[in-house]
Amino acid sequence: MSDENLVDEHVRLSEVKHEPTKGFLQAPLIFVFVFGCLIFICSIQLAHTTNDFQLHPPIEVVDLSPEEIEAQRIDKKLKSGEKVFKARCASCHQANGLGITGQYPPLAGSKWATTDSGLITNIILKGLKGEIIVKGEKYGTSAAINMAAVPIGDREIANVVTYVRKSWGNESSEVFEEDVATYRSSSADQLEQWTGEQLMSLYPESFTD
Amino acid sequence: MKKTTEQQIDQSARIAVSFFVASAGLWLLAAAFLAYVAAAKLTDPLFLSSFEFFTYGKVKISQANAFVYGWGGNSIFAVSLWIISRLSQSPVRGTPFLLAAGTIWNLAITFGLLGILDGHMLGHELLEMPKDVWPALLISYLVISFLILVVFRSRKKKSTIAPQWFIVAALIWFPCLMIFAWNGLEINPGRGTLTSILSMWFGQNIIWLWLTPVALGCAYYIIPSVLNRPIDKYYLAIFGFWCIAALAPWSVVHHLEGGPVPMWVPAVGTVMSIAMVFPIAVASTNFHSTAFQDISKVWNYLPLRFVIFGTLSYTISSYIGVIFSIPAVAKLTQFSIINEFHFNQRVYGFFSMIIFGIVYHILPQITGREIGSAAKNFHFWTSAFGVFGLLLAYLIGGLTHGVLAQQPSLGWVTVIDSVKPYFLITEFAFVILGFSQLVFVLNVWKVLVPNPFSTIDSTVESKAV
Amino acid sequence: MNNIFKFSGYIFLTLAFAWLAFVVGAKNQYGDLSQTSESLEENGSIIKDADLYPQSMAGIAQLGAKEYLSLGCVTCHTQQVRSEESGFDVERGWGKRPSVPRDYILQEEVLIGHNRVGPDLANVGLRDYSNEWLHKHLFMPQMEVEGSICQPSPFLYKVSGEPSEKTIEAISADNKMIYIEPSIQASRIVAYLQSLEQNYELPEVSFIESDIEADELVETAGTQTIDKESSSLPSWLSDQINSGKEIYMKAAPGGGLCFTCHQPNGLGIAGQFPPLADSDWVLGDKERLIKISIYGLMGEIEVNGVKYNNVMVPPGIPPGSLTDNQIADVLTYIRNDWGNSASSVSAEEVATVRESIKGRAPMQMWTAAELNKKSDSE
Repeated sequence: MSDENLVDEHVRLSEVKHEPTKGFLQAPLIFVFVFGCLIFICSIQLAHTTNDFQLHPPIEVVDLSPEEIEAQRIDKKLKSGEKVFKARCASCHQANGLGITGQYPPLAGSKWATTDSGLITNIILKGLKGEIIVKGEKYGTSAAINMAAVPIGDREIANVVTYVRKSWGNESSEVFEEDVATYRSSSADQLEQWTGEQLMSLYPESFTD
Repeated sequence: MKKTTEQQIDQSARIAVSFFVASAGLWLLAAAFLAYVAAAKLTDPLFLSSFEFFTYGKVKISQANAFVYGWGGNSIFAVSLWIISRLSQSPVRGTPFLLAAGTIWNLAITFGLLGILDGHMLGHELLEMPKDVWPALLISYLVISFLILVVFRSRKKKSTIAPQWFIVAALIWFPCLMIFAWNGLEINPGRGTLTSILSMWFGQNIIWLWLTPVALGCAYYIIPSVLNRPIDKYYLAIFGFWCIAALAPWSVVHHLEGGPVPMWVPAVGTVMSIAMVFPIAVASTNFHSTAFQDISKVWNYLPLRFVIFGTLSYTISSYIGVIFSIPAVAKLTQFSIINEFHFNQRVYGFFSMIIFGIVYHILPQITGREIGSAAKNFHFWTSAFGVFGLLLAYLIGGLTHGVLAQQPSLGWVTVIDSVKPYFLITEFAFVILGFSQLVFVLNVWKVLVPNPFSTIDSTVESKAV
Repeated sequence: MNNIFKFSGYIFLTLAFAWLAFVVGAKNQYGDLSQTSESLEENGSIIKDADLYPQSMAGIAQLGAKEYLSLGCVTCHTQQVRSEESGFDVERGWGKRPSVPRDYILQEEVLIGHNRVGPDLANVGLRDYSNEWLHKHLFMPQMEVEGSICQPSPFLYKVSGEPSEKTIEAISADNKMIYIEPSIQASRIVAYLQSLEQNYELPEVSFIESDIEADELVETAGTQTIDKESSSLPSWLSDQINSGKEIYMKAAPGGGLCFTCHQPNGLGIAGQFPPLADSDWVLGDKERLIKISIYGLMGEIEVNGVKYNNVMVPPGIPPGSLTDNQIADVLTYIRNDWGNSASSVSAEEVATVRESIKGRAPMQMWTAAELNKKSDSE
């Protein structure tokens, strides 16, 4: 087709109304329908994903009751404490807190862990040597197996102690970072590991049955 | 007024179009070389690694720029000049200015690419060339497009048809885009990710609003011209055109999904991208229902074969692009090598094939010399294989990449290990493509440069008048 | 359609509307987005005396950003952590929270990228890569990360055969020790990478709870194996270290029972069991170490200036039963954990030493004097 005819033919097509060929009548309806669907789908998409055309992403404003906020906080603390426990303590005391009979004392149901928080905190801060009795069994008889001080910060100690005091059936109170700091400074004079007798004399109430 | 015949128009356009086609061919080869180097570097990271000039990033980016501005730009000048002057039935004017501006365009890109390879690239998509060359690019472009629009303005018939809309619009869109980008990225840049939004907008619009409309315009011209029948359902074409014009600038930012930009930007982009289904369907209907009415002629006339390959690629890649813009899918594929699939499908499978077709249609008419059909056939098949292999590799590789990257337990090296075979396939594909592009350039060379040893055949392949 | 001026006008408008929305509109929305404290007061103002974020990078890091750009790194790396519903980035550990526009307002070159052939780098400064590791990665990524397709940049370094205070030790492709000196550009790039972190909260976004909490990571003794990807060690070495760690921590047959005295943290018990961390006995002569591992040690020994007097049964269950390979692995482990960093021990070395002390009576533990005398005489 020559270019002149090309232009003429197409201009004619766009200007002249020709009688409907087969299917022509349906075409506008189909297109209107398709277009309508598209607009509908697109509007829904827009409504859901634009955050009202704001600059910032949507902040999840969840109305929590004070109890829920508190529960979230404790949950976060326990998770963190669990990580510390797995990394530092579980190799001896085992992940289930039951220790190894005759070698490593259990923490589940142990007075040393569940009574005054100073007991367990001081042990972590300074370590423990010598014989102790935990749940009726003797531990620490061999000099080879004692507990060294764990060189972690106050926040980690608070988290792991809270974890120990609230796991495996233990239902004791939480320990806070400030408490650990207090224990740390009050035990500054203790240069060696604690012995069992020392701690029992410091916290007699824990061991009165 | 004497009616200007087609032969007279061809004569007036001959020098300028030949120049632009020749430049385009050379840039195509440069881009092919760079593409191969980039693909080779992915399979063997130590390939050319000791040269600071050839880091992977630099090579990849210079390939994209050489391809879009060098091959894309020059071929756009060539085909729009010819089609506009033919449809306006008005001769080309100002050939010396066209040649001068074209030379400056080519020189600007050369210096720009050297700047990139020398380590001065900028961080904007498809505008990485150092900004010293931008004025030269813009001014030479304005000269060339002005001269084309002068021809358009002097057309005999005032009413316009689809090829003219698309091509003229593309010519106007480019400087607008460039000026918006220049202002927003260099003169008066926004802070933070504002530049990222604009850079993404510009880079994608260059493909959607410059390369694509010209190729669509070529298809709208050559299909009815060769098949001797008007475009089927032509009344849709105007809707298709304005839908692309209205929706495409909005749809391109969907690539920013989930990024550090206001949420509504990619959301609007996604919505408009889905709405783009409509104009894609229109163009596809126009082309294919016309072409499939006379499929044997399409197959036998090689330029048309190239063009229909291109239009089919356009349809398929655009629909796949719409699917990938949906956030649920984009979650996986957004940063995978699916992006390569998309880019290469657009520029190789669609734009390049259509340009090859139209150039093979134009050249015999302006030079009076024919290209052997065996040569064209060879070019077609190597191109088709190369493109097909490349796209399959990027598509499957990209999906693998995206799906594996999503699993947090898999280290990154494991993810990439599974994609490496696809990189190897793309390396082979680029070799085949490079070869096919060499064939194209040789074919073009044969007709542009008279060879005393070959028989000069002045009969043009017949097309029904 | 037929008047070119009207047509051009409409064409321009189609672009202009999009430009108005995305560029002008977004710019207005950004407004004077600036630094702010991690959370706000009740009335929306910045908390007094609080740290303001984001913080601008050091000068060298900003220069590094330009080097990063000029090398074309943005082609393969993104620097954006997508929101949770849009991507898996936080899940992958690439950030503690999604990136937001405010994170980038002080960056001169915003390179958020659009392709991930390599991992995302928005929080690469948080991932505990040492400067040396980053330099080695830039020089030859395949050295640190096997199978990486990251492009080497050897032109950023000077390779020499001699160590100096500026050089970094590296292992070349053919397993030789080389010393690379970073150029200015390399130092800038590494400084830039180390400064890339989004480790602060903002009023509009807070950290997402995930399994990986970078600030809660404690030294993991016994639970974590060394990640090959982020380790600065070749794979054969990290394999040895992982295996040695298992032996160290094991209290069952095949293990060494070492942790029971020397503790999982390698600090021993003051006055009873000497530490292994930073100990001259561990980091020093390998032959001494191997001998102790085969026969044990008793009597007085001075470690890091502190005297210990105890009995060490040779490691193993039963004592002294560790094979050459196991001794090599566990010695390599103790020489490379708790801040120690020393050369590995090979099974061949153990075999040689074992051969040389063949005549010694079984369970005849060494004394420190014996071990030191032997090494002095060599």
